[in-house]
Amino acid sequence: MPQSFRPPLQAADSFEDPRLLRLPNGVEVVSLNQEQAPLVCLDFWCRAGSAGEGPDQAGMAHFLEHMVFKGSERLEAGEFDRRVESLGGSSNAATGFDDVHFHVLVPPEGVAEALDLLLDLVLKPRLDPGDFQMERQVVLEELAQSEDQPEEVAFQRLLSLACPQHPYGRPILGDRSALKAQNPERMAAFHRNSYRPRRCSLALAGAIDGLVLDDLLAGSALADLEPVPSSALPGALPPPAGPDLALRPGVHELRLPRLEAARLLMAWQLPAAADLEAVAGADLLTSLMAEGRRSRLVQRLREDRRLVESVDLDLNVLEAGSLALLEAVCAPEQVAAVEEQIAEVWRELCCTPPAESELERARRLVANGYRFGLESASSVAGLIGHQCLWGRLQPLRHPLELLQRWSVERLGAELLPLLAPERACRLLALPA
Amino acid sequence: MSSTTTTTLPPLPQPERFQLPGGCPVSVLRRGGPAILSARLWIRGGSAADPPGQRGRSQLLAGLLSRGCGELSGDQLADLVEGLGDDLRCEASEDALVISLKCASDDAPTLLPLLEAMVQRPWLDPDQISLERQLNLQTLARLREDPFQQAHDLLQSHLYGQGPYGHDPLGVEEELAGLDRSRLLEAAADLGGQGAALVLVGRPPRDLEQLLHPADAPIWTARPPLALPGQQGEASPALVREEQDTEQLVLLLGASTVPLGDPRSLALRLLQCHLGVGMSSRLFVALREEHGLAYDVGVHAPARCGASPFVFHLSSSAERATEATRELLSEWQRLLDQPLSESELALALAKFRGASAAGRQTCGQIASRQAMVLGHGLGWSYADDALRRAGSLDPATLHAVARQLLGRPSLSLCGPPQALNAAAQVWGAHPLGRSSPEQGVS
Repeated sequence: MPQSFRPPLQAADSFEDPRLLRLPNGVEVVSLNQEQAPLVCLDFWCRAGSAGEGPDQAGMAHFLEHMVFKGSERLEAGEFDRRVESLGGSSNAATGFDDVHFHVLVPPEGVAEALDLLLDLVLKPRLDPGDFQMERQVVLEELAQSEDQPEEVAFQRLLSLACPQHPYGRPILGDRSALKAQNPERMAAFHRNSYRPRRCSLALAGAIDGLVLDDLLAGSALADLEPVPSSALPGALPPPAGPDLALRPGVHELRLPRLEAARLLMAWQLPAAADLEAVAGADLLTSLMAEGRRSRLVQRLREDRRLVESVDLDLNVLEAGSLALLEAVCAPEQVAAVEEQIAEVWRELCCTPPAESELERARRLVANGYRFGLESASSVAGLIGHQCLWGRLQPLRHPLELLQRWSVERLGAELLPLLAPERACRLLALPA
Repeated sequence: MSSTTTTTLPPLPQPERFQLPGGCPVSVLRRGGPAILSARLWIRGGSAADPPGQRGRSQLLAGLLSRGCGELSGDQLADLVEGLGDDLRCEASEDALVISLKCASDDAPTLLPLLEAMVQRPWLDPDQISLERQLNLQTLARLREDPFQQAHDLLQSHLYGQGPYGHDPLGVEEELAGLDRSRLLEAAADLGGQGAALVLVGRPPRDLEQLLHPADAPIWTARPPLALPGQQGEASPALVREEQDTEQLVLLLGASTVPLGDPRSLALRLLQCHLGVGMSSRLFVALREEHGLAYDVGVHAPARCGASPFVFHLSSSAERATEATRELLSEWQRLLDQPLSESELALALAKFRGASAAGRQTCGQIASRQAMVLGHGLGWSYADDALRRAGSLDPATLHAVARQLLGRPSLSLCGPPQALNAAAQVWGAHPLGRSSPEQGVS
C-alpha cells in the first residue's frame, strides 16, 4: 500500500499552550485546560531526587516522599488520603534521580480543597518520630520486594557499574544500613533545603476552565514559602544536583538465583535533558532501532534470527546525562550471538544510512506516542510541571517540531556514534 | 472527620449504533481532544474457551492475527501500521480475544479495514506460528521469576482446577508446545460465534460502515453478545504453597465469586473499594500504615464472565510471616463478622465514583471499558446504572453478600520454607483455615 509523506503534525491538532503564573516569592505555577477532561490533576514537582542526597543520606529523598503522606502540622496521619478520596480523588507520588513529584487527581469541584491539602502536606510535613519508625518498615519492605525481582536486581547492578562515581549509580530506594541510620531531624533538614522557591513548581491540568488560580493560591503554603534571596542564586534557575555524568564502559557478568532467562543489559550515555533538540534526536534513534516489529533490533534479533524473547531500548532523559538502556531476554546459550548481532546492527547503520522512510516511521511513532500522551490530565500535568521545574516550559507543539530538525545524515553524524558497542557498559546476567 | 462530597459524574453519552452485515454490533462515541481514534473489538472466547489439552490456544491465535492477514504479510502489516506511527494489537484475556487499535484520526481510513481481515482472513503461516509459539513459551518460563506470579498461578489453579480460569492465558507449556495450525484454524473459524462487540471512541473518519466492511469482503458472522453463564468456581478452602528462596513471603487469600453481570457483583465492587482502593483503604491502613507489614497490599478482583476471583494480596518480609498471615486472615474474618459503618460505605462510594471518572479520561480507556461491558452482554449504560444503584446499597446488603460469597477463601503462599511453615501454622489455627486440607506442597 503506498504511503504518502505527511509531517507528524496534523491539521486537526489544536493545542492550547500552557499558561504560566509566577507567584511573588518566585514559585512558578503552570496550567492547561483540557476540553473533555472529567478530572483535574494537581502535580507538585520538586528538585529533590536521589541525586541531591549527601553521602550519608542514601534513600532519603524517597523515604521523605513516603513520610510526606504521614501528615503535616495541620493534617493527622491518614487525614489527607481520607479527605482526598472522599472527594472522589486519588493521589500518588514518585521519586526519581533528579526530582520528585506528588500528584492528586480530583473532580473539578474538589480542586480548591485538594490543592490546599496537597500544598500543606508537601510543604509542612510533620515527620513524627513514631510514624518515621513505622514507615521505615514499609520502605524496607519495598526494598525487599524489589530484591525479589531478579530483573530489577540486574538493572540496579548495571547502573552501579555504569555510573560508579555518580548518584545515578545508587539505588533510589537507598540501602538498609543507610535507612536504619536516618532520623526525623536529618530528614527535616533535607526537606528545608530542597523544598524551596525556584526548586519546585506546581502544575494543574484537565477540567480547570473557570478556575481563578490567583485566588486559589493566595494564602496557600506555596505562596507562603520564604523567597530565596537573589544573592544566593544569581541568574537563572539553580543547576541540577550532582556532577555531570561520565558513564564508564565495561563488560561484566552476574549470576542470579531464580533467573529463568538470561538478560543482556547495556547502558550508553546520551545528551542531557537540557538539550531538547538532541533528546528529540535520541528519541528518534532509539525508536528506529527498537520500537515495533520492524525496528532494526526487533526485526533482527526476534523476528529473523529468533534469538530473543524480547529486546527493548529505553531512553531515560536525565539532567546530568541521559541513559539509553537496552535489555535483551534470551536463552543463556544465545547470549554471544545476541551481542554479536547488536554490534552488527549498529555497524550496518553506520555504513549504510537508513532510508528516509525508516526515519519517517520513527518520527511518527514518537509523535503519536506524544500525542496519545496528551489525553489524560495526569500526563499533561506531569509534562508541563516537569518542564516548568527545569525552566524549559514550551508550547505543546514544540517537541513535534524538534523531530523535523533531524535528518538521516544528522542522526548518523551526531548520535549514532554515541551508541557504539564499545561505549556501552554491558552486564550479562545469567541464571545461577 | 471530613464529610463525603457526593460528586456527580456526567453520564457517558449514548453512542451512534449500527451492525456489521454479519451481526457484530458497532458503537461509536465521538469525542473532542487530540485528533485520535481508539477502537476495541471484543470477541467472546479467550483462554476460558481453550479446549482441554490446548491451553494457550486463544493467546497464540491472538498473537498471530497481526502476523499476516488478508492481502498483507506480517511484515507488510507491521510496515503499514508502524509506518504510520500507530498501534494495532491483539491479546487474549480469560474471557475474550481483544483487538485494540489506537491511531491518529487521519490514519483511521487506512487501518480500520484491517480489523475485518484479522478476524476473517488470518494467514496462520506455519513459520509465524512456530515463532509466536516459541515466544509465548519463553514468556511463560520468564514469568516464573516473579513470586507474585507463582502464588497467583497456584491460587487460580486451585480455585478453578483444570477448568477455563485455571490457567494463565499464555497457556500451559506442554500443551502450548503441541498446538499446530489445524488447531488454530479451528479456533479462528470460531471467532465471533460466541458474540462480539466493536467500540470506537474519538474522532472517527467518514464512511465508517464501508471501512469496517469493505464491499468485496466476505461477511463475518458474529452475533451480538449475550449474557451467557461463564465458568464456575467450585473449590473448597485449601492452603497451597510454593517454596522459593526469596526475601519476602507472598500471600494471596481469595475465593471465586460471581460474574460481572450478577447483581451481587456491585456489592463486591464496593467492598473492593473499601478494602483496597486508595491509601485510605482498610487493608492499606491496617496492614501498611498500622503495622508496616507491606509496601504493596490490596485486592485483585477483575470482572469476569464467569466466577470472578476476589483476592487479597500482600507481600511481607519472611521473618514477619506469622504476623502478616494473622493480620491478613483477621481482615478477611472482619469482612465476614461485621458490616461496614455508614461512613466507611460513604467513602467506598466516593472511591467507586472517583475510579469511574478516572477510567473515562482517554478514548482508549472508554473504548476498552465499554467493549468489555457490551461483551459481557450488559448494556452501554451499565457503568452509569451501577453508579446509581450503588447509592442505594446499604451496609447490611454488603455484609450479606460478603457472607454469602466470601465465606470460604483459600490461601496461596510463595516464599522461603520457614516462612511457609509459620504461615501454615497460623492458617491451620484460624477459623478460616481449620479443617482445610493442604494441597500441592512442592
